[in-house]
Amino acid sequence: MAAPTANAVTAGTGDPARTGGTRLSARLPRLVLYALLGAFCLYYLLPLYVMVVNSFKPLEEITSGGMMALPGSWTGAPWRTAWSEAQIGVQPTGLRPYFLNSLLMVVPAVTIATLLGALNGYVLTKWRFRGATVLFGLILFGCFIPFQIVLIPMARTLGFIGAAGTVRGLVFVHVVYGISFATLYFRNYYAAFPTELIRAAQIDGAGFFQIFFRILLPSSGPIAVVCVIWLFTNIWNDFLFGASFADYDSQPMTVALNNLVQSSTGVKEYNVHFAGAIMAALPTLLVYIVAGRFFVRGLMSGSVKG
Amino acid sequence: MGFLDIDRVTKSFGAVKVLNETDISVEKGEFLVLVGPSGCGKSTLLNMIAGLESVTAGEIRIDGARMNDVRPAERNIAMVFQSYALYPNMTVRGNISFGMEMHKIPKAEREEKIAQVAELLQITNLLDRKPGQLSGGQRQRVAMGRALTRDPDVFLFDEPLSNLDAKLRVDMRTEIKKLHQKLGTTIVYVTHDQIEALTLSTRIAVMYAGDVQQIGTPQQIYDDPANMFVAGFMGSPAMNLLPATVARAEGGPAVRLDLAGGEAVTLPFPRATGLDAREGEAIVLGIRPEAMTDPEGADRDSGALHRVDLPVDVVEPAGSDTYVTVSLGGKDAIGRFRAHTAAESGARAPFVFDMEKAVAFDPDTERRIA
Ligand SMILES: Nc1ncnc2c1ncn2[C@@H]1O[C@H](COP(=O)(O)OP(=O)(O)OP(=O)(O)O)[C@@H](O)[C@H]1O
Ligand SMILES: [Mg+2]
Repeated sequence: MAAPTANAVTAGTGDPARTGGTRLSARLPRLVLYALLGAFCLYYLLPLYVMVVNSFKPLEEITSGGMMALPGSWTGAPWRTAWSEAQIGVQPTGLRPYFLNSLLMVVPAVTIATLLGALNGYVLTKWRFRGATVLFGLILFGCFIPFQIVLIPMARTLGFIGAAGTVRGLVFVHVVYGISFATLYFRNYYAAFPTELIRAAQIDGAGFFQIFFRILLPSSGPIAVVCVIWLFTNIWNDFLFGASFADYDSQPMTVALNNLVQSSTGVKEYNVHFAGAIMAALPTLLVYIVAGRFFVRGLMSGSVKG
Repeated sequence: MGFLDIDRVTKSFGAVKVLNETDISVEKGEFLVLVGPSGCGKSTLLNMIAGLESVTAGEIRIDGARMNDVRPAERNIAMVFQSYALYPNMTVRGNISFGMEMHKIPKAEREEKIAQVAELLQITNLLDRKPGQLSGGQRQRVAMGRALTRDPDVFLFDEPLSNLDAKLRVDMRTEIKKLHQKLGTTIVYVTHDQIEALTLSTRIAVMYAGDVQQIGTPQQIYDDPANMFVAGFMGSPAMNLLPATVARAEGGPAVRLDLAGGEAVTLPFPRATGLDAREGEAIVLGIRPEAMTDPEGADRDSGALHRVDLPVDVVEPAGSDTYVTVSLGGKDAIGRFRAHTAAESGARAPFVFDMEKAVAFDPDTERRIA
């Protein structure tokens, strides 16, 4: 009587041949699987655990040896210090202004690069012109140019357009780099987008941009999410461009965090460093959690036959 | 000059010539069906009428106005695509309204028109759904609704029914025909289904390899095919095209057909007076299955019925009819018998040939000669 149930359970583990036997032997593969997954999970979560736990400890508890232990007395002071009191530049401002710099850099850069990438993809697939393939190849080439190579030319360009040492300048740099990937994503997505829809819209009287904004873009949910996650993570985490092209008052979070950790005066406040590092990592984490939920496939189903 | 003129229109994709000086003239209110095998350029021609493809040479005119360089939106045409091409991100209402919005029609007027069209196509209860939540037939209706809002001069349909199952296709076919009768709009309709072509059209243009083979009413195309391609393409089962020899019998023209085993039959062919001079020459005799039937099923009004007993190869019951295959002139010829025929494979059965309905082609040029 129990056999069919056991069978149904094991079927999911890829071992459908096992039909009878004791309950334990039927469940064993599944138990092993969970144990393995659990172990990996712990392994990946351990650093996060260390960071979180230590960011809530007074410094003495860390220096007295217990990295792995839970805080004896919980305190929010390291977070407050990292956010608004730590000495990073000349002033004891904490990471707050730099966090803001990062936001002011990443939001426009991601938005502009994604929109331009979508526009490129649209033109490259639906308004094909002579040389479109070559042009796409050249844009793709941009994905493979190492950051270091462009440092000096980019510095000169920024100086030339008067954006050196500003957040605007950083936005510009990241848009330039972001376009290549964004174009790649959107071109491949739009290549599979039914051209008949574009033609229908043309007959309906929609123009170039109306088709883009009213038909194509609203149907680009999944790829836009992929593109945004990718660009956001890369731009937020970038250190090299931030360190090279920003002034003291336009530094992004990554550079400021480095300065915080590297500052050589006094004792190393590990708890503050941990809190700062978590702050720097939170936005990308948040983007994954929020945007990942919208990563739904099949928005296109139903537009064409099926 | 008609309402929609396609005047010596040529289309090339690079070095490939897809349409070759096509001439078609469509009158106002006509239902023209473009029919032909896959790849013959039907969609290309339709897209050129719509303005979605450029015209390589020649001219397209609607109501006398040259359209070659007019944008699709300004041609006052509406098109229904094979894939329906409904905007996936919009509701049915949004889909129908989009074109009017683009033409800056006020909201009140749009709502009124949507209600009217939805009523006509019985999709009122679907207006707030997305295309993904509709069945094939419903999507088809929405696509037509979108086209209907425009009061177009010309309606273009590109195989609108080919994605539907057989039953729904027949229903929608009737609906499209009703719609045309009600609205009286000029329609150009592409299909490669010859039943659709015959049932819907007021005229048919049969296309093949970039050329229009014949234009005519369904009756003309069916009864008087201009060449062997048209004869073989239209009709199901297809017209029998049988190698024959011109002969004389009963004091008039006749054709002789070889049977299996060295025998031959000679059928008087009184209509074919033009073949007198060709006596002894080879021709291709075209005869439809329904003109080659059992004695009881023959058309008694015909003046040229000839009864012959032939050895039957295969008997295929097909519901309302039974198809009987015999070997004539070295080819399999299919006759259409009544459902409960006595014909049996291996035995002889009486065939009645209606030679008034037979046609003849030149085997070399494949053109009609009688
Ligand atoms: N953009 C293009 N470039 C090159 N050749 C093309 C292009 N579009 C169509 N063709 C060719 O033109 C010919 C006619 O195509 P078309 O789509 O008009 O055929 P069709 O009659 O509609 O066929 P079907 O019944 O399969 O839809 C085909 O041989 C096709 O390969
Ligand atoms: Mg086609």
